[in-house]
Amino acid sequence: MDFDFTEDQNMLRNLAREFLTEQVTIEHVRAMMEDETGYDKDLYRRFLQLGLIPLPEEYGGAGFGMIETSIIMEEMGRIPYPGPFFGTIVLAGQTLVQSGDEAAMARYLPDMANGDLVVSLAFLEKSASWVPSTIEATATRNDNGYTLNGMKRFVPWGAQADVLLVAARTGEGSGPEGISLFAVPTSTAGVEITPETMLDLNSRTATVNFTDVKVGADAPIGEEGNAWPGLDRTIQRAAVAASAEMLGASRRAHEMSVDYAKVRRQFGQVIGQFQAIKHKLAEMLEQVENAHSAVYYASWALDAGAPDATLAASVAKSTINEASRHVCGEAIQVHGGIGFTWEYDLHLYWKRAKHQEVFYGDTDYHRERVLQEVLAGRVAG
Amino acid sequence: MDLRYSPEDIEFRKKVRAWFEENLPRKKLETFEERREWHRKLYDAGFIGMGWPKEYGGREARPMEQAIVGEEMARVNAPAGVNGLGISIVGPTLIHHGTEEQKQQHLKKILTGEEIWCQLYSEPNSGSDLASLQCRADIDGDNFIINGQKIWTSGAHNAEWGLMLARTDRRASKHNGISCIMVEMDRPGVEVRPLKQISGSSEFSEVFFSNVTVPADNLIGELNTGWRIAQTTLSYERGGNTLSRVSRLQASIDRLLEVANELRVDGTRAIDDPLIRQKIGRIYAEVEVLRYASLRLLSKLEKGERPGPEASVSKLHYSELDKRVQEIIQEILGPYGQQISGGDPAYAFDDPNVEYGDADTWAYHFVWSRAGTIYAGSSQIQKNIIGERVLGLPKEIRADRLELEEKRQAEVSS
Repeated sequence: MDFDFTEDQNMLRNLAREFLTEQVTIEHVRAMMEDETGYDKDLYRRFLQLGLIPLPEEYGGAGFGMIETSIIMEEMGRIPYPGPFFGTIVLAGQTLVQSGDEAAMARYLPDMANGDLVVSLAFLEKSASWVPSTIEATATRNDNGYTLNGMKRFVPWGAQADVLLVAARTGEGSGPEGISLFAVPTSTAGVEITPETMLDLNSRTATVNFTDVKVGADAPIGEEGNAWPGLDRTIQRAAVAASAEMLGASRRAHEMSVDYAKVRRQFGQVIGQFQAIKHKLAEMLEQVENAHSAVYYASWALDAGAPDATLAASVAKSTINEASRHVCGEAIQVHGGIGFTWEYDLHLYWKRAKHQEVFYGDTDYHRERVLQEVLAGRVAG
Repeated sequence: MDLRYSPEDIEFRKKVRAWFEENLPRKKLETFEERREWHRKLYDAGFIGMGWPKEYGGREARPMEQAIVGEEMARVNAPAGVNGLGISIVGPTLIHHGTEEQKQQHLKKILTGEEIWCQLYSEPNSGSDLASLQCRADIDGDNFIINGQKIWTSGAHNAEWGLMLARTDRRASKHNGISCIMVEMDRPGVEVRPLKQISGSSEFSEVFFSNVTVPADNLIGELNTGWRIAQTTLSYERGGNTLSRVSRLQASIDRLLEVANELRVDGTRAIDDPLIRQKIGRIYAEVEVLRYASLRLLSKLEKGERPGPEASVSKLHYSELDKRVQEIIQEILGPYGQQISGGDPAYAFDDPNVEYGDADTWAYHFVWSRAGTIYAGSSQIQKNIIGERVLGLPKEIRADRLELEEKRQAEVSS
């Protein structure tokens, strides 16, 4: 029974932290908020060159699992990093890996791993939910392949992507059967991308309209009509990775609040001496530490193939969703007026956590998922 | 990271489980003597004082072994042993601070349950501020004369001995005038009055001391070092209760799921109602987080790393969690959650086939959850400790500290 990270994992964290704190300064983060592309391609490549890539080794990754992914994402949440690492390497990367389609992996992963290709998963539609019935986009067979029609929303870094992995229906119905996955270059005729502006200006998303988009017979990834199981596994992993990023942002917000409470003076004393502030900061610590336990247990469970892995993933996301709301929100409260200024960095963490809170399952979705897993007996052995 | 149980622990659990299957009492234990007999059985099996040093009758068992025994006992709702405070607090106090003679006289009997102890610390005016205690032990020749009152004394009516913190120097500052003294509960002048709790049961008592004579040899450690003794006594109970807390909460939720299958709201089974599903999903998830946090704590203990102030997050966590879980259970069950008797067995907490546990109702667990955030360091005290010792926030300005400071200034200038 060992809950500690290995020496290698600690080194990984130190390496990520060193690079991110030195190279992705707060000035850079703020500059990217105004930037049209939203991220620095050169910086992104240089980060990838460190080799901290949770993709299979044979396709240019380091062979890392979910624990390492979460460590990296936690460190990114502490910045918060502006760029398509999560969208491409974690979300799109896992989409390909979980599809089981080795040819597709060989075709796209190596260029994703070296930064040449930005890829994103186009899953959500109007209803913005993570259940099969969300998928209404269609892919109808024709003589040369398929014709895609539909609209995708909130595609991470969609306007910056070279290739989109699109979930669309080749079959009838609105259930999990009949969903297929297609690789579509964004330059394809009929693909119309409109950037969305979100509360977190550093997390770029886009609406993508597909109007009679023609793709070849080789475009489907994995088995036609059977993409849902792989997508579901991808969403679980994305949920845990996003949870780790939210944990990093929350931790940082808490640290800033503790530091502030030690220097800010009112009524002739340091405000950290007042019980109201002290107790609030203690509660925040409890939430951060519990979220840590949940995120890393889930990461381990996914890597180990534990019987309760799906349950744990939903426990992790629902836990950090609640925890980050409280921690980041109360961090602003502890800071008082200054916490509400654009100039002060706190809102960057609050917004990053808030952004990831609504994706890969909100709290309600995951609590329902928890119950389903419990009723099915997929609990810890 | 590896959160599976080791093969050794799995083997150990099998043995423990088999032992309980064979040895669990077949009927409810009515008298204290019956409970003491069961305790003796547990002791002979090696399940009492597991973490104690071998030279004093323990097994120096690993935290994981202690946690597994705790969990297996909770799983079958086994009756607890007796002398819980004796084993978790008094014994370790004697081991760390007692004389050889005191150890010889008491330790073995504490373990076997022959000698039952209670803890005489809290007073009506000294709860969170324990150091302000006023019960006095004045030296008179070879004896202490004790006068005062203790409260919240668990198990006092069965106790033969009590571990007391008493004031032995009223001129020193409050922390420096306290001594730790062993008191025989049948001495003349000792009066135990049971207190009734809102649960309807009487787990605690008030104890009154009127000119109680106690040999000066009953002092533990040096005179006026009692506060330090109480603070530095390391319990050998490392993680013993961590997993059993989780399994007890899980047992409640498992039973709730069964009831939700039966209970109907508007013609629908409660388990199919989306709102109820959300509530159950929430509490199940929160109890899982307690389980993960417990494994994380056990992992540290197994490696011999003392968690220190971080342990304060643990008590705050599980005691506040219990309240939340119990409130949500009550929300789902409505009036059935408050029924103490005469209810439909389909909705009851109790398994009517269980004969040996204490009478268990939803209401009982709900009521007791209110005590958890008060005893063993209230949530507010925990938050002070976390804020100061873990986060490094400065101590608050407090009237007694100001008073002490003024006193000190006066002494310095005079």
